[in-house]
Amino acid sequence: MPPKACSPACANASPARPDAMDFLITTLLNALTLISILMLVGLGLAISFGLMNVTNLAHGEFVTVGAFAVYFVQSMGGSFWLGLAAAPIAGAVVGCILEFAIIRHLYSRPVSTVLATWGVSLILQQGLELTFGLGAKPVTPPIEGTLDLVFTVYPAYRLILIGIAMLTLLGVILLISRTSFGLDIRTVIQNREMAEGVGINTRRTYAIAFTFGAAIAGLAGGLVAPLAIVLPQMGVNYLANAFFVVIVGGVGSIGGLVAGSVFVGGLTSILNYQISPSLAQAIVLLAAIVAVRLRPNGLLNGASR
Amino acid sequence: MIARDRNWLLIFAVCVALAVVYPFVAGGYQLTVIRDALIFGLFAASLDFFWGRTGILCFGHAAFFGIGGYIMALVTLNDAIPFASLLGIMGAVAGAAFVAAIIGYFLFFGGIRGSYFTIVTLAMGVICQQAAVSWSSVTGGDSGLIGIPPIAFDVGGLHVDLSQDLSSYILVAATVAVTVLALWSVSRGRWGTVLTAIQDNEVRAAALGHNAPLRLLVTFVLSAAIAGLAGALYVCMAGLVAPDLSGLLLSTEVIVWVAVGGRGTLLGPVLGAIFIQRAQQTISSFNPSLWPLLLGCVFVIIVFVLPDGILSIYARLKSLFKGRRRAQ
Repeated sequence: MPPKACSPACANASPARPDAMDFLITTLLNALTLISILMLVGLGLAISFGLMNVTNLAHGEFVTVGAFAVYFVQSMGGSFWLGLAAAPIAGAVVGCILEFAIIRHLYSRPVSTVLATWGVSLILQQGLELTFGLGAKPVTPPIEGTLDLVFTVYPAYRLILIGIAMLTLLGVILLISRTSFGLDIRTVIQNREMAEGVGINTRRTYAIAFTFGAAIAGLAGGLVAPLAIVLPQMGVNYLANAFFVVIVGGVGSIGGLVAGSVFVGGLTSILNYQISPSLAQAIVLLAAIVAVRLRPNGLLNGASR
Repeated sequence: MIARDRNWLLIFAVCVALAVVYPFVAGGYQLTVIRDALIFGLFAASLDFFWGRTGILCFGHAAFFGIGGYIMALVTLNDAIPFASLLGIMGAVAGAAFVAAIIGYFLFFGGIRGSYFTIVTLAMGVICQQAAVSWSSVTGGDSGLIGIPPIAFDVGGLHVDLSQDLSSYILVAATVAVTVLALWSVSRGRWGTVLTAIQDNEVRAAALGHNAPLRLLVTFVLSAAIAGLAGALYVCMAGLVAPDLSGLLLSTEVIVWVAVGGRGTLLGPVLGAIFIQRAQQTISSFNPSLWPLLLGCVFVIIVFVLPDGILSIYARLKSLFKGRRRAQ
């Protein structure tokens, strides 16, 4: 099992100056870092779990593959940015193969999908360990040092991470709301038979959407690699958290995804200052279970079912 | 249906007979190997009672196994507690049932079913293992707790000591046999029939007056209690408890045992647990990191080739030959 240090909770930076405003801004930025990562990982899950009704337990491995892509490129002498470009491609390749070989055959068998994707997850983890060896892999951030924001100093790389994540999310919103492919996706989601009736290739749309989600998760893995401990087993922590983002936020909208990420990421970041990361994780989980009990359709969708 | 029940009882009787004969042919070490495998078989049967009857997959069942194990360890390691073995087992069963009742209440009455339930229980397993690692003042952290004494107690002046291989084997084998028989009679009776109805169509079952969430909850709690019992037994036999016992890998392995043995048969998962653990020991002796890789492959193969478990090979061959004969 992965050590607890590589949970997303480690995305916390220690405050440099201990005064109230400084503390507030640092906590906010820490929360924003975690929320950004959760949104990117959750996006792919919102597509596969929320919309296609496919429970993909190998989704965490897309994150791992993205992080390993950055490590691999760096260890071959390439720059971080080259690695970051390779991360979504690696995620997409793995996602595409997974969809083609396994998931498309199991759309009507949900429990089988759970078992098969878990098997793939084990195979990928062990395959990475056999290829790259035991132990954590070092990934160096492209920029060292901090940036002086009037109230606090904050690591520059984290600010870049938040920026890239926000831009990616904006890109996805535009893709879904403005392009013809986005229209196809929305149509298939609303009514699969009707979409087929008007000539949309639903299998192809599913496959592309799934691959796309895997690519975004790979990008998230690449972004988080310098902050996290890069291990073959790192994915499972992101998997559990991302599922909670989707379940708590409710499926079917970018707004729900953001709400879920803010709930899980924000709560984790705040609790991490007070108690140990494992206990914080446990409390977030329990809070999420209670939230689901009270609002089964998601935070934004009201209490009615 | 009647013929199927008779077949099940026949196989059960054969298994019990084998378990009775085994101590006469096997030595001490082999006896303990089978004994430990049987405990995991009990664990597999507990998962099958829930998964097989309700169709809802619990992906964190090892959490209950681990909770039972840790409670047993903490009670028996505390010298101040009298009747430690008996109280420990009761505490283990009650503790696992209690956790399952709380989580199950929120999930079942919150309308969480299917994949959602699987995910939440998966996270529950992750949390339990993290708690076991990080709460080191109580759980001993990564290295766990060692030196747990074997089961021993006095009943009316009679001293029962299960530190010997044979006596502990008999206790475990008897527990497994009685529990499997009890679970089987529950699941083929009215309780099981209603659960099947809920699995087929929960809305209709509810319309017929069945309290579906309550039925699911009680089944889940019962299943968790037996998993806790298995955990408590294992900890006493092994003499140690570690975070792995509540971990994701064990949760995964128990699913494989049930899936390979045949979901919903109760006896199949016990046999699946015994056979797969033998395979695991053999393979791990070559290369320890090979096992998770093979486990992953087994998952994929089961889904595509043997969705009904190993026992279904027999039924398939039978139907194949019947088909041939008819064609001639």
